[in-house]
Amino acid sequence: MLEVSGASAGYGRVQVLWDIELRVDEREIVSLVGPNGAGKTTLLRVLSGMVPVSSGTVTFRGDLVNGRSVEQVVELGISHVPEGRRLFPGLSVRDNLRLGGWRGKHTDLEPVLELFPGLTTRLDQVAGSMSGGEQQMCAIARGLMSRPELMMIDELSLGLAPVVVDEIIERLPDIAASGTSVLLVEQDVDAALRVAARAYVLETGRIALSGKAQDLLTDQRVQESYLGLG
Amino acid sequence: MSTVTEAEPSFDRQATGSRLDWQRMLPWGLLALLMAAMLGLQSQLYIGQERTVTAIFMFVALAQAWNVIGGFTGYACFGQVVFFGIGGYATAVTMVHWHLSFWLALPLSGVGAALFGAVIGLPLLRLKGHYFAIATLGVAEGMREVVTNVPALTGGGAGITVPTVGEDATTAYLGNDGFYLLFLGIAALSLVVALVISRNRFGFALRAIHQDEDAAGAMGINTTRAKVLAFSISGMLTGLVGACYAFQQVVIFPDRLFDVELTVLMVVMVVIGGSGTVLGPLLGAVGLQYLSEYLRHSYTEAHTFILGAIIIVAVVFLPQGFVNYVREARRSGDYSLLANVRRYRL
Repeated sequence: MLEVSGASAGYGRVQVLWDIELRVDEREIVSLVGPNGAGKTTLLRVLSGMVPVSSGTVTFRGDLVNGRSVEQVVELGISHVPEGRRLFPGLSVRDNLRLGGWRGKHTDLEPVLELFPGLTTRLDQVAGSMSGGEQQMCAIARGLMSRPELMMIDELSLGLAPVVVDEIIERLPDIAASGTSVLLVEQDVDAALRVAARAYVLETGRIALSGKAQDLLTDQRVQESYLGLG
Repeated sequence: MSTVTEAEPSFDRQATGSRLDWQRMLPWGLLALLMAAMLGLQSQLYIGQERTVTAIFMFVALAQAWNVIGGFTGYACFGQVVFFGIGGYATAVTMVHWHLSFWLALPLSGVGAALFGAVIGLPLLRLKGHYFAIATLGVAEGMREVVTNVPALTGGGAGITVPTVGEDATTAYLGNDGFYLLFLGIAALSLVVALVISRNRFGFALRAIHQDEDAAGAMGINTTRAKVLAFSISGMLTGLVGACYAFQQVVIFPDRLFDVELTVLMVVMVVIGGSGTVLGPLLGAVGLQYLSEYLRHSYTEAHTFILGAIIIVAVVFLPQGFVNYVREARRSGDYSLLANVRRYRL
């Protein structure tokens, strides 16, 4: 569904990504892991139209993604849950969700509230006054409001307690099963690999490893570098 | 500003289910009632009072116009007076050189100010915060110099006289009663525009931009288009007021029509009343303009000093504006001003 082939990108003269090959299929959870500064966030920004590619292509169901504006990428069916959640802090949870459905004018909150029932009682609360975990749930719910075919989540675990991270990650298979593939960018490598079907390891701007998440979990290099094992 | 700002009402009140039709119609009903009251009031006023109230109407319109870009969208424009000047000069110049009727010059001035807003908005709205404020301030100051330096068209620093008497007059001077009604109409128009924006999809987009512009873009909102449109609407309303003002004053000068004090008054009225709301700028404009007039009569020597002190106290204790303070206090049940200061300390 999402195909990245030979993509390179950067900021000005600083190149960040080299020759990236990546693919996400329908109803699939794919994790993208790697150390700080590897270019994970930049890759997501490329996929959502915020950063242009200098070479290579990004296609989504046959449509070219690179060269489109952020709004046009949303229209293609890709939604981006940015790092640090970026909710509208002074607006209510309800309004945050409704803004998520801006394109296509989706206003039905029921499907996302079924996924995150905890938000139901928070609908009229100001989003900025909720806990970090609730805010992340709200951000993901907001990202689902446009009924995307692909949702990219950047640093889901940022600033959250492990138990809260688990609680949110448990929802991802339901999201994928309902027809929204998930591309998860995570520093919590263990959690990211456990939930995903396939995964990519990004190191200094290049895909260092890729394959089934299960295999990567037991891969010696991954265990040594990221899981503190071995 | 604090990150925990006002919980603004949902843009589609029907969706909440708890809002009844009469609650949604309430602001419109109040507006109609207010209009009727103002029409009735006119016959009860002396000439001096009528002029005072006319000036209040003018500031109601100006404050609401600034509110569209500065309040809803969160782009503090410190050069708003440029639209006022453009509207005023467009009216004067077209009435003098093209012999247009005022009733034709007025909408033309509005359109001109709107177009100018779009043209300068496209580059300037890429700037944020202080940079946007300073850039717009520069545009207003620059435009004043331009107008001063083309005397063949604008009369330059000596001013230009709108033809209101004799054979040159294209439209008869409206007189006190006429201008009362004209400015009342403009004030009502600006209130209607602000009310519509505050409740529709476009206004919802502006609020999202105000909160987090990048996130608004990620929701699929075309932020450039929304910002430029808001700036144009704001400019158009301000330009219409400037056009009426030019006709009312008959003789206009660049120093008065591009006076930065007008911008400051608009900003202060909106901020004290409660920016981003419709009621706030209305209360701010009426309150401040009335207070200013009252002090001028009662304390001729020290009125600006007293007014300044009152403004400082108001901003310190109600940094988010009167309407937003009341809204929060009602929700939290905490009316303490000191708690309010603590919540919004910078």
